[in-house]
Amino acid sequence: MSDAMHQTSTPKLATRLLQNRVYRSIVRHGPFDTNRNRSLAVFSNFFLHIHPVKVRLRAIAFTRTFYLGGLSAASYLILVVTGVFLMFYYHPSVPRAYEDMKDLQYAVYMGPFLRNLHRWAAHAMVALVFLHMVRVFFAGAYRPPREFNWVIGVVLFVLTVLLSYTGYLLPWDQLAFWGVTVGTNMADAMPVLGPPTKFLLLGGTAVSENALLRFYVLHCVVLPLFLVVLVSVHIWRIRKDGGIYLGSPGGEGSTPNAQGPTPTAAAAPEAPRP
Amino acid sequence: MNAPPRFALDAGDDARRAPVRLVVIQDEQRPAVDETGEPVVMTMPHLLVRELIALLVFSLGLVVVAIFVDAPLEEIANPLETPNPAKAPWYFLGLQELLHYYPPFISGVLLPAAVILALVVIPYFDINLERRPLAEARRTRVLVRLWTSVAAISALLLGTASHPLWPVLVPLWLVAVLMTVPEIWPRRHGVVGWLGTRSLAFWIFTWFLLATTALTVIGVLFRGPGWAFTLPWRDGIY
Amino acid sequence: MDLVDDLQLPLGDRERTRRAFLAAVGVAAVGVAGFGTGVTAVRFLQPEVLFEAPTRFRVGRPEDIPAGTLVVLPEQRVYLLRTPAGFVAMTAVCTHLGCLTRYEAENDIIFCPCHGSRFATDGSVVNGPAPLPLPRLALSLDNGLLVVDTAVTVSRDTVLAA
Repeated sequence: MSDAMHQTSTPKLATRLLQNRVYRSIVRHGPFDTNRNRSLAVFSNFFLHIHPVKVRLRAIAFTRTFYLGGLSAASYLILVVTGVFLMFYYHPSVPRAYEDMKDLQYAVYMGPFLRNLHRWAAHAMVALVFLHMVRVFFAGAYRPPREFNWVIGVVLFVLTVLLSYTGYLLPWDQLAFWGVTVGTNMADAMPVLGPPTKFLLLGGTAVSENALLRFYVLHCVVLPLFLVVLVSVHIWRIRKDGGIYLGSPGGEGSTPNAQGPTPTAAAAPEAPRP
Repeated sequence: MNAPPRFALDAGDDARRAPVRLVVIQDEQRPAVDETGEPVVMTMPHLLVRELIALLVFSLGLVVVAIFVDAPLEEIANPLETPNPAKAPWYFLGLQELLHYYPPFISGVLLPAAVILALVVIPYFDINLERRPLAEARRTRVLVRLWTSVAAISALLLGTASHPLWPVLVPLWLVAVLMTVPEIWPRRHGVVGWLGTRSLAFWIFTWFLLATTALTVIGVLFRGPGWAFTLPWRDGIY
Repeated sequence: MDLVDDLQLPLGDRERTRRAFLAAVGVAAVGVAGFGTGVTAVRFLQPEVLFEAPTRFRVGRPEDIPAGTLVVLPEQRVYLLRTPAGFVAMTAVCTHLGCLTRYEAENDIIFCPCHGSRFATDGSVVNGPAPLPLPRLALSLDNGLLVVDTAVTVSRDTVLAA
């Protein structure tokens, strides 16, 4: 302990901040200068432990995935945060909803900014999820044993589009109103289930206050919950299947240990599975 | 397994702090996660910092757009008046364009459901990433089958739609041509060689991508009041 | 660590069939409960009482509508015509996807702005994606006043004689 005599005050302050009982009870790793601490930072953290402790270098290259899945999740996060903020000024009733939109535009501090951010993040999310699907397809990352994860992904895409659609009604402007009219009439065109679905969606026979409230509940509670649950399963399955799909010349490559050495031409399998 | 084991000698007075012992230090003791020897890095910091940067750049971009570009807001909903044109947001305009060709049940329920079903089925149906270039004998048969199918689909689409469904037909024909070229001029390398080894799932998905892009672009840029065909450079974008 | 559940394996024949039976009963019970929950949930979400405008309303006196004119009632979404044969009430909602049509007097045509459908004043489709002609609505006379019921559609040649 006498070695600490010649320390300047800053390291001493850092030591006192980071070495005390309270801090150590919360943070269970030390500074990131040992691999053990780096491992612990990921492994013992609730929010980060979806990641593996070590990751293959090829998997994290930007041009491998363009980070599209991660950016989709990031846009969802932005949407949830801005959405919650917007909820403090929005009443899902007619005509109050439209008046609230005007309030956000002119009377709320940073109202336009928050609304714009929410709207553009929504468009970004639809585009990113679609591009992610395209990337996964052309990389062949849907192949066994990842088939069901692809199916979950398609469901997630549909959920994203539905979230966007339900959100679209909420401003209660002309575009919203007639968009919902057309959409519910299309749902009505379904055989057998069409008219009851339209009745349930609208909470009646016409696009009115009931419809606005139902779309509000769908948009803010039901669909986001489904999406969060399915995204969790989606990412979990990626971990279980060995991380980002890297493929291999032989056609396998879903788990790290299954990546054998490059097969010779003679050994190249005709079928994807030997 | 690379370097010979190193030895270190440690000594001290306190038996509990530093008992005299001979220590053998072996390099690179890792759990056998990756037997292939593929390069691996620690998630912290490599992956996490990349994620953070991506998140920051993306958020920054969105924030800049949010500051300078306003989200639109039309007049209050008026059940007594339908605006002209009444256009959905861009990701639905492809569907709305499709409504121009088929009745609502087909374009709003049947086709979207079929597309979603086809997407879901892909991994269970064709999992070959590549296929071998066709042998000479099979080539003719495959080409005949290909163009017969294309002709049948084209006839179906042309016959049932109220207007010729160009946004879907032209990509179909383009894809069929791209599938045919490597069969007529077989190559082992280059673009044609690569085209020749693409799987059927690849081509179907490419057709889907081109068709949805075409439908969306037309819906966004080339449709005006009454869903009439407009030219954006002449009539503006509705 | 000592595992202390008392699962006695292997199961005897009687034990196995008893467990299978109880399991089947349990699954069936859960199934019934689940089905009941689902049905209740759907019925809960269907409103029993609707606060929407009444579908039956008066639209004026027959004497006030000259022959050969078409009256537009946008709030009720109804066209009221007086043809040589008599009075006709027709919905103004496009049969394609529910947009509100407009009457163009100079062309004597009913036009839908959403996808360009056009209807003649008798409701028949002139062109456009609309699949069906505009349906006629029940029209009656009540105490000398015309009454329209938008919830009741009638056949295409129905006319209320003047």
